[in-house]
Amino acid sequence: MHELSVASAVVEKVLEFVSAHSVKKVLAVRLAIGELSHIEAEQLRFCYVAITEQTPIQDSALEIETVEAVVNCERCRYRGRPKYWDDALSVGPIPTMECPNCGGAVEIAEGNDCAIKSIRFAVEDDGLAIPAA
Amino acid sequence: MIQTIEASPDEIYDIELEHSLLEANAQLAKENRALLDRHGVTAVDVMGAIGSGKTTLIGRLVERLKDRFGVAVFNGDATTSSDADLIANQSVPVVQIATINGCHLDANLVGKALQKISLEQLRLVFIENIGNLICPAEFPLGSKARVVVVSVTEGPYMVRKHPHMFLGAQLVVINKIDLAEAMGVSVAELTKDVHKLKPDLRVIPTSCKTGDGLDEVTAALLAV
Repeated sequence: MHELSVASAVVEKVLEFVSAHSVKKVLAVRLAIGELSHIEAEQLRFCYVAITEQTPIQDSALEIETVEAVVNCERCRYRGRPKYWDDALSVGPIPTMECPNCGGAVEIAEGNDCAIKSIRFAVEDDGLAIPAA
Repeated sequence: MIQTIEASPDEIYDIELEHSLLEANAQLAKENRALLDRHGVTAVDVMGAIGSGKTTLIGRLVERLKDRFGVAVFNGDATTSSDADLIANQSVPVVQIATINGCHLDANLVGKALQKISLEQLRLVFIENIGNLICPAEFPLGSKARVVVVSVTEGPYMVRKHPHMFLGAQLVVINKIDLAEAMGVSVAELTKDVHKLKPDLRVIPTSCKTGDGLDEVTAALLAV
């Protein structure tokens, strides 16, 4: 259940942004969650709603996009999607560290992070300057 | 230099942040690692389910190593000091890390624990993680090796039910092999499952009761 700590980290960062800029209302926070990270989107949303209550970012939407896994094989130089373990017992495909090309061991190149991508917000009525993207 | 744009009242802006939520922990883990490296200390993160035998395995390894060089143990536990108490009997430095509601150890907690012991004359620190099979995988602590302890008493599907733990591990210990027959669980099948997830991951079957495999684990840890 570390979704709560991830949600807290999101809220902390967004509140920091809100207090540093002339933000009137945060409309949405967009996250990119790697396929190989162990964060469950629905639990994260639940935690986000719970901990944003009575904060300046209450009612902001949490938009979550999944970043697909990419692996590298040192041996055969394969770079691409991992091999998945998917058989009769599987409820969903499990990404593995076996090279889909040569059967060797691969390294994770992408898809194991969890990041705030962007914040969508309306600015205060006096329209102060904000940092450009 | 920070560039600024003029925002009009009520205008809606979309700002790219690209702020990693795991980066803060990863950075602290790097700092822990640098501190350990400076003192020539190797930390080993031991992960696995409650009851898989993490504490007992660490205890057996400490018995074998403590007369050769300095060994310390950090015991992560949500609610009790039972594990730390067991290890403390061996007269090596022990730090209990109580996470209370936390489901995993993080680099910050381990960094604090590192402040509590003298790193001089130390060679190995065992960090016993919380008995949780998902969350600890996400939080590097600064260890040189991550070991997953699986026991045959967790059933035949243990490995495939918790694949994430294995992807970042350097060693898997299949423990309690003296009970494999009684449990009807095949060590060979569990090993095969590990290799399906990660072909080069070393697997060592052990029994802390009979001592099987413990020499091999000791040698593997000294080689990391």
